Amino acid sequence: MAYIVPRRDARTQSEGVVEGYAQTAQRWPAQPLARRAQGLSELTGPRLSSRLKATGANLAGHGAGRALGQLIDLRVSIVDEDGAPVPGAMVEIWHCNAAGKYIHPNDSNDAPADPNFYGAARLLADDAGRMVLRTVKPGAYPVPDTDGWWRPPHIHFSVWGRVWLSRLVTQMFFPGEPLNERDPILNAVRDPQARGRCIARFVPAAGNALVCEYDLVVRGRNAAAELP
Amino acid sequence: MKPLVPTAEMTLGPFFPREFAAGANDLAAGAQGEPIEITGRVVQADGRALDNVVLEIWQADAEGRFDNPAFCGWGRAATNSDGFYLFRTIKPGAVQGRAPHINFLILYSGLMRQLQTVMFFDQSPDPALENLKERSERLVAKKEGANRYRFDIRLRGEGETPFFDD
Repeated sequence: MAYIVPRRDARTQSEGVVEGYAQTAQRWPAQPLARRAQGLSELTGPRLSSRLKATGANLAGHGAGRALGQLIDLRVSIVDEDGAPVPGAMVEIWHCNAAGKYIHPNDSNDAPADPNFYGAARLLADDAGRMVLRTVKPGAYPVPDTDGWWRPPHIHFSVWGRVWLSRLVTQMFFPGEPLNERDPILNAVRDPQARGRCIARFVPAAGNALVCEYDLVVRGRNAAAELP
Repeated sequence: MKPLVPTAEMTLGPFFPREFAAGANDLAAGAQGEPIEITGRVVQADGRALDNVVLEIWQADAEGRFDNPAFCGWGRAATNSDGFYLFRTIKPGAVQGRAPHINFLILYSGLMRQLQTVMFFDQSPDPALENLKERSERLVAKKEGANRYRFDIRLRGEGETPFFDD
């Protein structure tokens, strides 16, 4: 049974030059992307556990105290297009602190750093393709050199699926955020349902952390699933 | 069952943690085969060099195999403020039906999703090049010394690197 990676759908996957996001006009290729066949080179993938080390799963307790902001427990599941869990999937997560400041030296925002917060983690999913990260809800922040574009609170994900072409780098948003309505990145996804799936779900739970659930679907499925 | 729709890819943004790329650009350590260095510069349409572009590679081992437990075949580099990246790896062998090649994946702010391209070592025919015609030359790395290859990436504009849609 061969594993295949179906082509992207323009309704559910944005690309190209995007209005309101000036850098896309400098960076997305002007020439059409070339078609090619998929073979062993595209439909195999690395075993990363030998190359990349997992980190701890708590970004909110990096220093002596607790990070500023609202604690969240982020429950993430990783499945492929068959809905089959990806056991042991490696996931990288990064986001800004509650004030909207990244740990990255290139962040010129004058919001304060938080010594008790560290905005980068690398986790391995369990056998059911699930993982939990304790962190704080990130803040919104202004994008430099724009006409009032503020990024809504969001969390970056970098995920490996089963094969090279399954690589997924994306952003997760929070429900009920007014800035979601005008974010050029989120709204570049044309299909409203696909856009909605980029927003986490709050789940009622006891305890001192808001629980957010989020499902990541990586590209790829078994060819047999196509048969009638 | 109806297949699920893959989660929409989105831009990497400008703040990918530097530490995620640190040390991940050396695939050669302990590997069998001919050690090589691949370096290049990533520029945008107006020619400006780009800082903190993330490049990931996936390649076969020296025998053309992807399932060698002693050679992972994956690496990651981020460009410096002059737009340069560097990989240390080994020269891949030919995979059945393909010329020796290294898959490149590019992630950056201003790219709504990943870009895929392929680096070749010479002009040998390869099925991935068939639709590119004369642009295929752009995917052949320039040899710069015994074990060093130069593979520049121009995202957009004149001399643009060919990218693949998958």
